[in-house]
Amino acid sequence: MHEFSVTKSLVDLCNAEAEKNNFSRIYKIHLKVGRFTGFSPDSISFYFEHLKPNTKCQDAEIIFDEVPIRIKCTDCGKENEIEEPILVCPECGKMTIEVISGREFFVESIEGE
Amino acid sequence: MKRVKVLKSVLVSNMQRARENRREFDRMNSLVINIIASPGAGKTSVIERIVEYFKKKRKILVIEGDIRGQVDSKRLAKLGVDVIQINTVTECHLDAFMTAQALPKIDKKYNLILIENVGNLVCPAEFEIGEDYKLAILSTPEGDDKPLKYPLLFHLAKVVVINKCDLLPYVDFSKKRAKKNVLRENSKARIFEVSAKTGDGFGKFYSFLEKELNAKKKKG
Repeated sequence: MHEFSVTKSLVDLCNAEAEKNNFSRIYKIHLKVGRFTGFSPDSISFYFEHLKPNTKCQDAEIIFDEVPIRIKCTDCGKENEIEEPILVCPECGKMTIEVISGREFFVESIEGE
Repeated sequence: MKRVKVLKSVLVSNMQRARENRREFDRMNSLVINIIASPGAGKTSVIERIVEYFKKKRKILVIEGDIRGQVDSKRLAKLGVDVIQINTVTECHLDAFMTAQALPKIDKKYNLILIENVGNLVCPAEFEIGEDYKLAILSTPEGDDKPLKYPLLFHLAKVVVINKCDLLPYVDFSKKRAKKNVLRENSKARIFEVSAKTGDGFGKFYSFLEKELNAKKKKG
């Protein structure tokens, strides 16, 4: 449900960036979404269709780039990619974990003219 | 067609507003705790306990976030604590802008500001509101697996309160497993076991809060 307000922010951000770059239209939005966020690409796409008409995003599609969860164990120093966000080192079993990636949620670039 | 780099968080405006809220709270030298839990976990009951214990020696404000109504603010006002109600209407969480609605209504300095977020383990975790830290409440009837099912909140919460420990004989909840699951999301989490109904276990939690309040005082 919270994707509605988030998608609204996305549209506002892209419109402002289009303005800045003298784009009258955006065709593609490259969005990075980490797997350790609460945001679902499906819900964002759903709300985007409702929010884009009559904005510079009306002809745009979102290209999602999902970022896997990567963790580093500060004890053994090993880095690993994990499927589920359970922050235990797969190598040594310690919980001294730093999350390196997976929390991203940003617009990488826009394409337009 | 041209491609231009943006590299901006979708939540950028919320993050900026959260920083501004934070500056306001810091100016008042208040310790601000964002309390997040599912509906019925006992957020208001835990707040009542904190208010009862600290109200004579500290100035406390509660900011109540609810979709609708004033049920909790009326309940808390009975304890003689200042309460500001925010109704989110359609949103399932408080964001920094909604929280900022409370700022003009704050007319004195508070030592402790408790913000009761909308009952939800998912959305409130993603939105900074200007807090010092997040406190998650997990109640025993919900099950000890919740940290693994809602990992982000437990990853971000500095403090986790396990509430309704008085119900342990009646529910399938292992404190050991719950703690292990919390630590698997956040190995630095401070965990307290309490019962807001009976008051059991609050001693350690109060001492912890007392230290946090003193640390905040020294900083300012």
